[in-house]
Amino acid sequence: MLSKFNRSNQIRQALQSGGFLFLLFFMTSASAVAQAPKGNDEMSRDERGKYIHYEVVEKKALATDSLKQRALGFLALKKLKAIQQDNDEIRATGKFIVNKTALMLAHPSGELLYNFTFEVKEGKYRFWLTDFLFVPYKRDRYGNFVPSTPKGTPLEDSPGKLNAGEWGSYVETADKQSTTFAAEFKDYLSAIQKIKTPGTKKKVISTKSW
Amino acid sequence: MKLKSFFTFSALTMSAATYAQETTTSTPLQISGSVDTYYKYDFSKKANIGTSFAEDQNSVSLGMIDLALKKTTGKASFVGELSFGPRGQYGSLPNGNGEGANADNSFHIQNLYTSYAFTDKFSMTAGYMGTFIGYEVIAPTGNFNYSTSYLFTNGPFQNAGIKANYVFSPKVALMVGLFDDWNVYKDVNGVSHFGAQLTVSPVEGWTAYLNMLTGRGAGAPGTGSIYDLTTAYQVTEKVKIGLNAADYSVSNDNGGYSGAALYLQNAFTPGFSLGLRGEYFKSKDIPDFDGSSVTSVTVSGNFKAGGLTFIPEVRFDNGNTARFVKNNLDPTKSASQFSLAAVYAF
Repeated sequence: MLSKFNRSNQIRQALQSGGFLFLLFFMTSASAVAQAPKGNDEMSRDERGKYIHYEVVEKKALATDSLKQRALGFLALKKLKAIQQDNDEIRATGKFIVNKTALMLAHPSGELLYNFTFEVKEGKYRFWLTDFLFVPYKRDRYGNFVPSTPKGTPLEDSPGKLNAGEWGSYVETADKQSTTFAAEFKDYLSAIQKIKTPGTKKKVISTKSW
Repeated sequence: MKLKSFFTFSALTMSAATYAQETTTSTPLQISGSVDTYYKYDFSKKANIGTSFAEDQNSVSLGMIDLALKKTTGKASFVGELSFGPRGQYGSLPNGNGEGANADNSFHIQNLYTSYAFTDKFSMTAGYMGTFIGYEVIAPTGNFNYSTSYLFTNGPFQNAGIKANYVFSPKVALMVGLFDDWNVYKDVNGVSHFGAQLTVSPVEGWTAYLNMLTGRGAGAPGTGSIYDLTTAYQVTEKVKIGLNAADYSVSNDNGGYSGAALYLQNAFTPGFSLGLRGEYFKSKDIPDFDGSSVTSVTVSGNFKAGGLTFIPEVRFDNGNTARFVKNNLDPTKSASQFSLAAVYAF
């Protein structure tokens, strides 16, 4: 009788553990389905057939040099690399991290490399992000996510039917992150810079008298 | 009970992560892992080839479920990675405590360490870590071929210890560390091994690791030293070449091994790649006993569908001695097998 009781107890414990495992697996699978893309191909393409985020902005109030300096400041802030200047043009390279999300948990599944170009004329500027390359991440022997290859695959390449869904999500991510990047870039270029007086100290609050 | 404790811990950690997300210096808790299963058929109808995993003959068998957690708060981080299933329980080291039914049955820790990045260039790590030696790894998501090389099978799987990493430049980095014996959670004869890894990246896409690990394990007849070169070069977007060469010797003529494996891979499309592994492996001579050698050729395909990878594979092994068996159990010098594996990474 005692052994029967122990056995059923063991079975119940095993089921509880298994149940949790199943729940965890279900949550992960469900999130994978939830993040499945909608076959989105809404991002614009340029004359070469490359995905591109392109904007022209009128900015008559600011001088060319001022816009260029602010653009350089923003690229440095965002840690873009290989920044090159040529007269009224700035070129740089950057990357967006693609995250695979599962409820409140996430891990990076790859990165999108891109080329950024900025051009300024009197009273207006334009910029674009293009030449997107996807680099998948893999988990290395120490459990860290690292690029699985140093050379990315152009986002325009056909991934085949089996991977079309996941690939569509990368295009969608490129579109979303480019739009966010562009909004921040325009804000930065239009922001009124606060003048900081050297030596200004924070006010000390006294609690002794009130 | 171990499973239950693990998931209770996971649940608590997840709650902690939710809270921690509100601070600016924390990254969300990362959870990832893999699941794999396989079928293997040896053409002699006997399991022959000494691959670490995929050893069951004519059976749809399980690999393991692998679960990894990672969290970074400021400069500190931890990684905890556990595996369950035949590979984790019976195919990996260490195992149970050797008593009764628990003799060779346990879940397996793949990684359990904490790390602190003092600066962008200097960090220190302590705990139980996947070995820095060799090209192939235990998790099937980290390998192109499903069956493993002889160099992998005979080398270390994990090392417990403490190590310091310094990045001199984007092209050069150095790791030095003090380690326990191979594949143990604790060392009964003290911290007995010294290891180092020099990482060099001469050109974009090419990385080489020069590794060494030396020390005397508990009860070992001599000091074992392994010198290892692991390198990979992504020649083009589609073509990748890898090489692993290693020499292991135990002092006082107590044997060891040497060998090399070449890896050639071509990605025909983003969803399909084909790879070839050629390996030569020789166990060293010891007094009154000549070591034997084996040559192995493995051709594997990788078909990817989202997180799932199918790996059909054929493998031919040929030894200088009759180390395999035929269907009627007569010894023979050669063996061949086919396998089909499904690996899902999440």
